[in-house]
Amino acid sequence: MTHVSLDRPAVNPRALPELVVDRIWRFFCSVRAAIAEIAILALLVLAGTLRGSSVPRTIADTLPFATPLVERWYAWDVFRSLPFASILTVLAVAIAICTINRAPGIWQAIAHPTVVTTHGFLRNAETSATFASALSAPELASQLQDALRAGRYRTIGEERSGEVHLYADRWRYSRLATFPFHLALIMILAGGIVGAAWGFRDNDFIIPEGSVRELGHGTGLTVRLDDFSEVYREDGTPLVYRSDVTIMKNGDTVNTGSMTVNNPLTFGDVVFYQSGFGQAVALKIEDSAGEVLFDDALPLGPFQSKLNPDAPAARMDLVPAGVAMSIVAPDENPANAPELDTLRLRPGDMFFMIRPLGADSPIAAPIGATVSQGESIELGDLSLTFVRERRFSVLQVARNPGIPLFIAASVLLVGGLAVTFYFPHRRIRAIVSPTPGGSEAQLAPVARRDWSAKRVFEQVAGDVGRRIGLESHLRMNEPSPIGEASYRVVAPP
Amino acid sequence: MESLVRLSFYFFAAATIALVTSAACYLVYAVGRIRLRHTALTTSAGTTVVSHGASLEPASLGIGRFATLLAWFGVAFQGISILLRTIAAGRLPLSNMYEFSSTFILLAGLVYLVFERWYGVRQLGAIVLPLIVAMATYVWLLPSDLREVDALIPALQNRPLMTIHVSMAILAYATFAVAFAAAVLFLIANRWRVTWLPGPDLLDDLAFRAVTIGFPALSLVLILGSVWAYRAWGTYWQWDPKETSALFTWLIYGVYLHTRSLRGWRGNRSAAILLVAFAAVVFTYFGNYIFGGLHAYGGV
Ligand code: HEM
Repeated sequence: MTHVSLDRPAVNPRALPELVVDRIWRFFCSVRAAIAEIAILALLVLAGTLRGSSVPRTIADTLPFATPLVERWYAWDVFRSLPFASILTVLAVAIAICTINRAPGIWQAIAHPTVVTTHGFLRNAETSATFASALSAPELASQLQDALRAGRYRTIGEERSGEVHLYADRWRYSRLATFPFHLALIMILAGGIVGAAWGFRDNDFIIPEGSVRELGHGTGLTVRLDDFSEVYREDGTPLVYRSDVTIMKNGDTVNTGSMTVNNPLTFGDVVFYQSGFGQAVALKIEDSAGEVLFDDALPLGPFQSKLNPDAPAARMDLVPAGVAMSIVAPDENPANAPELDTLRLRPGDMFFMIRPLGADSPIAAPIGATVSQGESIELGDLSLTFVRERRFSVLQVARNPGIPLFIAASVLLVGGLAVTFYFPHRRIRAIVSPTPGGSEAQLAPVARRDWSAKRVFEQVAGDVGRRIGLESHLRMNEPSPIGEASYRVVAPP
Repeated sequence: MESLVRLSFYFFAAATIALVTSAACYLVYAVGRIRLRHTALTTSAGTTVVSHGASLEPASLGIGRFATLLAWFGVAFQGISILLRTIAAGRLPLSNMYEFSSTFILLAGLVYLVFERWYGVRQLGAIVLPLIVAMATYVWLLPSDLREVDALIPALQNRPLMTIHVSMAILAYATFAVAFAAAVLFLIANRWRVTWLPGPDLLDDLAFRAVTIGFPALSLVLILGSVWAYRAWGTYWQWDPKETSALFTWLIYGVYLHTRSLRGWRGNRSAAILLVAFAAVVFTYFGNYIFGGLHAYGGV
């Protein structure tokens, strides 16, 4: 039998959702949770990094029982996985909520800092400075304020039961720099999403020299490769590859330019990169009626012919003629696997072959012939001219509307970090109290365990003393050993 | 080998000797002197009891000063070595593991010496200098053809971006080495309270200051690397292992920085994270050996 305590307050039905919201809100605000989230993200990034290395294989080799796990690891595309996307989302939300949560407090600390402090705070400070003066407390306070201002500190004073409490700070606005920095992290994620959703990327946009190709992707652009050139060094290593292109829109030339590796060509928000090159054949094919079926260049390479799998080759379907055509170029490295080369073409020659395509093809069996550059031949009903050898260039074309976001985020990120780190908010609290001989001021930095802030304070105290012509008595408390949460914060709110 | 390149190599050799000696002196300085004591007591029964004891005492300041001087010599020689190679190649030596690591030796030495001056802590050298010596050993063990100056492959030819990207990486790694040393010393100082070691407070702060230089530098490495990848390959982020391992490192330092706003986490736990983070740095640095991918060139 269970006993239900009747003393327990009845649960207010409206409190539960509020409680949940409050819990979630606090989870997202917590720096402790943020640390866990960043650590989880880091672990996933590590798993993804190692996946691109030989480490999992080594693990499987040394611990055979781990093999299935390692195989699953290799199969898992971490960076496109749900857990990865989720942790990024959680972090983005956390940063946003954390920002909203912290903003009022930080603004308060900048605009309306608490001026009044306690003697306990000054007494317990790890370092403090004392000035004794014959002046009255308000007079000494005003001198102190002037001296601190001369050291570019903002000062605020407040009288409390005969004493003057002082607050001085410097670089208060750097407290805000954490916002652009954390916002930048969200912007970078947003940039990635924008780029993936509204951009495109074509990794092999192939154009033979002299040919025109449509770019597609809704750009309405066509591109002509006017020239491709390559320059080699004396030792045969490549120095530069260059493509000269003309970009056209609706048949009108809108831009011309060239690109090399590392120097892309930009047109509007579309960027063209030099990525590769290869060999192409310029052909002209007419049918028996004299109608031109093909007059362009065909890139060689993506296709392997059984006649010589080592050599550059191409294939295209000539649907109106009912045939498929394959083209094989001379072997570039005849010494390698010569037994595969059934054609033994000389440089300058090409092998052309047509095969039946579809049910009503005019030919019944393949017909092939070797053709030299500039020659024309008849293949079945077709007349074919091998105009000349050409090169083709492989371009990468990308449009990434996320780039401006990324650039802006980069500036905010590095700028925010620099301000946070190099212009830290420095704060000093003081109380000026009357003494029988005049007054005494005691100052201390708000800098628990911050060694450099204490050093800066000691300098400031020395400077202030010099300015007001009083000797400062620095006092240092032996700091308690740094341990795990071994002390309580005693600073005033 | 071209004569300037050869001369540069000789200066590297001289730097190595200076740095090795300096590391030894720093170690002696930080460990202190072991003093053996014999006390002979004569008891009332007429027997003699001898007690032996050993205690550690601070080493003489002289050897510390000597270590610093040698470190400056090492840095100067290494600086000349890099300068000569820069002149010979017409660019900063940053493009293969030999060049990259040589520049690291210079920057790590320099960053360390600057911190030594700022904070007046010499004992840190007992950890940083051996790290630098380890790097020098690695450079000596690299295949000797990397000592030649080679022309760059097209993808590496974007000079300003490459120079800033890579030199920022070296700067970041150098400051992280100093932060690592401070964390190690912190853990020692916080545990054993060796009187002549700097106070934990100061070491904690020193590690943080080092990270405040290294973290923005590493951020720039990631950003400029992306910009460079965008110019060379058309995407600013490819999830290439070298990129992601740098991101991993950056995130670990992000964790470290957040621990500083959780006050109770400062100290031991922060220092422990710095050890992990530095392991990530080493992993990123030598990652080329286990990754394929786009950064696979560069001499490995
Ligand atoms: C990948 C994600 C993040 C990174 C790389 C990151 C990085 C940083 C860095 C570098 C700092 C400056 C440290 C300093 O001032 O000493 C910082 C501060 C801070 N971050 Fe983050 N952060 C991330 C996410 C978050 C999230 C999700 C939250 C919110 C829960 C958060 C809350 C804070 C707070 C409160 C501070 C200020 C600490 C202080 O003023 O003492 N951060 N963060």
